[in-house]
Amino acid sequence: MVGMNGESGSPHRWGAGGGAPQLGVVIGGSFKNGLTVRLDTARSVEAIQVGNFVVVEGDENRYFSTIADLELQLTDSALAADPPPISSSFLRAALAGTHTYATAEVRPSLMLEGTDDLVAGGGPKPVRTIPMHFAILREAAGEDFDVVFGAEGDGKFALGSPLTMDHPIPLDLARFVERSNGVFGQSGTGKSVLTRLLLCGVIKSERASALVFDMHSEYAWQKEGEGGSRLRGLRELFGSRVAVYSLDARDQGRQALDGTLQIGLNQIEPGDVELLADELNLTPTFAATSFSLQQRFQERWIERLLAMDGDAVKDFCAQSGANQGAVDALKQKLNLLTNLPYIVPNQGTSVIDEIVLRLQRKGHVVLQFGRHSRLLDYMLVANILTRRIHRAYTDQVLKYDQSGDAADRPHPLTIVLEEAHKFLSPAVARQTIFGTIAREMRKYSVTLLVVDQRPSGIDAEVMSQLGTKITGLLTEEHDIDAVLTGVAGRSHLRGVLASLETKQQCLVLGHAIPMPMVLRTRAYDEAFFAAMGGRAKPATPAERDAQKRAALADIYGEE
Amino acid sequence: MRIGEVIETSTVGFWAESERLHQLPPLGALVAVALPDGATLYGVVAFGQTAGVDAGRRAVRRGTDQVFDGAIYDQHPELLRILRTTFQAITVGYAGPDGRARHHLPPWPPPLHYSVQECDRATVAAFTEAPGYFAILAASEGEVAAEQLLAAHIRCVYDRRGRDTAWLNAAGQQVARLLKRDYDRLLTVLEAIDPGVEKYEVQSTKYELGGAANGSGGENGRAGKNGYGDVPF
Repeated sequence: MVGMNGESGSPHRWGAGGGAPQLGVVIGGSFKNGLTVRLDTARSVEAIQVGNFVVVEGDENRYFSTIADLELQLTDSALAADPPPISSSFLRAALAGTHTYATAEVRPSLMLEGTDDLVAGGGPKPVRTIPMHFAILREAAGEDFDVVFGAEGDGKFALGSPLTMDHPIPLDLARFVERSNGVFGQSGTGKSVLTRLLLCGVIKSERASALVFDMHSEYAWQKEGEGGSRLRGLRELFGSRVAVYSLDARDQGRQALDGTLQIGLNQIEPGDVELLADELNLTPTFAATSFSLQQRFQERWIERLLAMDGDAVKDFCAQSGANQGAVDALKQKLNLLTNLPYIVPNQGTSVIDEIVLRLQRKGHVVLQFGRHSRLLDYMLVANILTRRIHRAYTDQVLKYDQSGDAADRPHPLTIVLEEAHKFLSPAVARQTIFGTIAREMRKYSVTLLVVDQRPSGIDAEVMSQLGTKITGLLTEEHDIDAVLTGVAGRSHLRGVLASLETKQQCLVLGHAIPMPMVLRTRAYDEAFFAAMGGRAKPATPAERDAQKRAALADIYGEE
Repeated sequence: MRIGEVIETSTVGFWAESERLHQLPPLGALVAVALPDGATLYGVVAFGQTAGVDAGRRAVRRGTDQVFDGAIYDQHPELLRILRTTFQAITVGYAGPDGRARHHLPPWPPPLHYSVQECDRATVAAFTEAPGYFAILAASEGEVAAEQLLAAHIRCVYDRRGRDTAWLNAAGQQVARLLKRDYDRLLTVLEAIDPGVEKYEVQSTKYELGGAANGSGGENGRAGKNGYGDVPF
């Protein structure tokens, strides 16, 4: 570890990279296509994996790179036609290195100039050059990871460690919450654990508030994970800092909820219904119809529509020019909504406002759906609530812009959205509030954490706006394309992505990490809970009450 | 041990005449000439022959139904005078008075009539530690094909070094490097030195042959299949 910490205060120079094993030497390459490295014969090529983080030591600079490809080479084509006898290990050993060898394609991502003084804050920069012939490729040492990714600490949350060694690789949470992010991966690749980890990091660091639309009621309290392990919930880890609401009144008896959410028909807008077109099987004319209804009856449009008899419909159509068949059909479909237990004819905005207020006061909210876990419920409620949040945050930013008072500055909010392709598909992304948030709400401090297994179903424009993408194994071509849209060095990442293991491995790329990196995901276990400052066991009912009172006092002030 | 005397010398190698008829180091063996300045010159035996002292006269058949092989020498003691055994060595390096081995040609050829010694195990081990001098053998253009010479030398040294597998592997790689443009020749060498193939039990260390010099011919039992005791001269 020569001089990495710059003890003398002089500009940083390095030694042999902490004695990390040498892998090979650069024998060619280009800036555009990456470096070709002839791997040392002494090491089996099988010890090196695509996606590994490696370091090339140039004369002037140190290049932080990724193994993009591995290739077997022959100096003599005769060898391919007439391979040595399979029984002779001696012959194979003799030919290794001169007639047979392996090369690696190495992609430099970042470089550290020799004159950079790490102490003075000169960190790695994007590569602008390449090293000369015979520069040494070596394995990355712990210090290299620290130089590139920074050490775990304030605002730096370790999401996992590289595959080659046990060394925490942190995300920069400040950058993470700046933009919308995505967690992708096929079913069973650990999206839900990754999302939990990220939420824990965000909540612990207090960089942003989190609102979780918890379709399967799994985030708040502990839930049995795969393989019978218990995944501790956010409420258990962070206590009253995480408020839990439910759409299902029956949850109240089982768990200590902070409130039950009900939706009034008066809170539903044509846009919300539009999002449900698929679920309700609506015809394309419904949009025009519902807008003219809303124009006429304002917020009570659904209630009035449902109350219409045949004559009233005829009257309305005569006046508004709407198609009678369409109105009838819409009426029939919307009637389904009134059967939902959490829908009431008229509802004030008190609970929704309470949720928004909690979020603005740096609290976190998990909204459970209980038994109402159909997509219809999820989409309707998420959309209504988010619309409200959008309005509140937009107002607050305008207020802050006018006053310039730091107290008015909105606290960043990140909204966790599962099954995101339903909200952000190309067909609806331009209209729904989620599309708007994904595209432009960064300015208003609201971002999305999109969780989905089919990224190809998400609008390309939204995908391109995602700052950090964390993805488990994807095998479908379209999904891989979607995730890697707009990423440099796509072709090699494609190979990396398709070769991830199904469990506990993810590729992180984007805004919150200096260079794309394959990680072994951190375990969501007792050690992690301890690191998050979680309690050893769930709170007793008495404690829960106390927490609830404390939380309410926190919001509404002391009684 | 003195085994011969330099009778023809040049920068790239030398010829030596054996002390005794039919007694010469095996192909590929390392031999040394102690130089007057304290340095030692090393060569690899690249060729050997036994012929009449008079180059113009060819040997003639001397055996009969009753007298043949070694017995011929007993019958014709004058053969020891009119025949001689010579061998050629290719110079592969030298060691200065400091003893450090150098794997390149010495500045001067060995002096004529100086003694040629066989190298003991320690000397062989020291000089062959690094296979840098193989290039000289690989480039040789003598009577013996370079790949045969290389293979013979590697077998000799491997044996002399007490079947040093690590050295053999390094030697194999060095040969592969030298012959990388000619896979067929390379394969010839590698197959000849492959320790997995038990086809060469040539005892390169036992090159002190029996034979005509002590008059015992092929009857002393030391000249086996690979010895030279039964060579019909």
